[in-house]
Amino acid sequence: MLDVIDRELLKGVADLEGIPKGAYNIRKNGKLLARQVSANILIETNEDNTGINIIIKPGTVNESVHIPVILSQADLFDVVKNSFVIGEACDVTIVAGCGIHCGSDKPEGHAGIHEFKIGKSSKVKYVEKHLGVGPGSGKRTLNPVTRVFLEERAHAEMELTQIGGVDNAQRTNEADLGPGSSVLITERVMTDGVQRAVSKNTILLKGEGSRAELISRSVIRGDSRQDFYAVLEARARSYGHLECDAIVMDNGTNETVPSLRSLHPDAELTHEAAIGKIANSQLMKLMSLGLTYDEAVDRIIRGFLR
Amino acid sequence: MLEIKDLYFSVDEQDAQSVIHTRTIVKGVSFTFKKGKFYAITGPNGSGKTTIAKLIMGINPITSGSVLLEGRDITSLGVTERARAGIAYSFQNPARFKGLTFRDMLSISAGTTDESELVKVLIRVGICSLDFLDKEVGHALSGGEIKKIELATTIARNPKVAIYDEPDTGIDLWTIGPMIELLKRERDENGATTIVVSHNEKFLQAAEEILLIRDGQIMHVGDLSSTTPLLQDLDFCNWKTICEGEAYARCHR
Repeated sequence: MLDVIDRELLKGVADLEGIPKGAYNIRKNGKLLARQVSANILIETNEDNTGINIIIKPGTVNESVHIPVILSQADLFDVVKNSFVIGEACDVTIVAGCGIHCGSDKPEGHAGIHEFKIGKSSKVKYVEKHLGVGPGSGKRTLNPVTRVFLEERAHAEMELTQIGGVDNAQRTNEADLGPGSSVLITERVMTDGVQRAVSKNTILLKGEGSRAELISRSVIRGDSRQDFYAVLEARARSYGHLECDAIVMDNGTNETVPSLRSLHPDAELTHEAAIGKIANSQLMKLMSLGLTYDEAVDRIIRGFLR
Repeated sequence: MLEIKDLYFSVDEQDAQSVIHTRTIVKGVSFTFKKGKFYAITGPNGSGKTTIAKLIMGINPITSGSVLLEGRDITSLGVTERARAGIAYSFQNPARFKGLTFRDMLSISAGTTDESELVKVLIRVGICSLDFLDKEVGHALSGGEIKKIELATTIARNPKVAIYDEPDTGIDLWTIGPMIELLKRERDENGATTIVVSHNEKFLQAAEEILLIRDGQIMHVGDLSSTTPLLQDLDFCNWKTICEGEAYARCHR
């Protein structure tokens, strides 16, 4: 069952105090630890035994699925391919995430490849948190891939967060939007020390009247480096916006490349990108309310990554 | 109550030839603000009004001179300590934040997250809508909204000294009257020494004493009737005298 480290990781990545309610699949050190299906949500190991299929029946509303992955075994690089098939007219929340506990100098890593097919008029909220903890010096690597295909009028809200303690991350996010569908992707990444994170995003607005918004919030502390690339491509009358913000602290470095590509005359694409330190005016305001410099920095960063 | 003694503030500026020159913005300002009185600091643009206010709050570092609050020398204290000592400052162009809401700001200011306490502050400052609490203090706010938030966070401190830098910036004309009433009420009920940096005649009328600043010095201290003639003499907008005439092309840039 769950030990202390498991509990810490589960709390960190999925806000779980223990075993969740509803459907879930908990994977520990590359193996299934616990699974629960519900009347509407089926979870099964896929054919080649590389991950799970999560099948949500049409019309499923107000249900959730938790599929956290926890790692605490040295020298393991766990690759998992999960596929989500969400039927028509659903309204569900999916909570994923990976927590790595590293207790030795051996590396540990995880690559979660998640593919979503969201049926007509369905609403999905997807929350994914990545976290590295533990006293070991072994490199913690997390390379998530998130692909989402939205059918007609489907809507997805994706919150992708890497909170801290991850040494190396190659993040890939892709969205493919059908007619009248919409997606809001919010990615929040914090790095410190000599950590490195790269995020590559591609959003294809294929359907008439589709809408996409991608918000990226990066906090780059210490000597860490984060790079962010996003391509927003419109192939129909559609709307898209990219917002990339990076706060650089200490000696962090950052490259942010938002790219807009319009292949349709009625597409409306916009972007804003900013890299900089915390504004002095923000610090002064919070300090004038009685916070110390460090407290003010902390509040600004916490708000920024909220 | 709040005493400033022989305040100086200088900055180093580089000219086109990279030579550094020292420019003195505040030149030996001394004044004693009394408890529970309403003061206005006025003067031409660039005269040093805001700089004096920022020296009191500790936002700008004092070059020389001293600041005393209730007899205690606070010259060496930073912004945080001065805030904790009872000075509050309302910025002319308030900072905007990504991800921080009015509730967050008000909680920091009031030192509590208890909603009933926050609502008391809202009632005090005349913000009726509870929904307003969860608005992000970001770029979507109008100029008037952000000034309301600025006012509320200042008042929520229950300050001994409240400094308002151009509080009417971005506020519509018919909101200024109620704002003045609010500041007077805070002064009367909480004994806040109120210092408003403003050009606006309505604030000058409300003030018990007006400090007229010119070229980094106090030129005059008095009520509105004694100050008005001096204000008229001062070329607040010297466009008329210099520029009325096509001869001075430089003024039409």
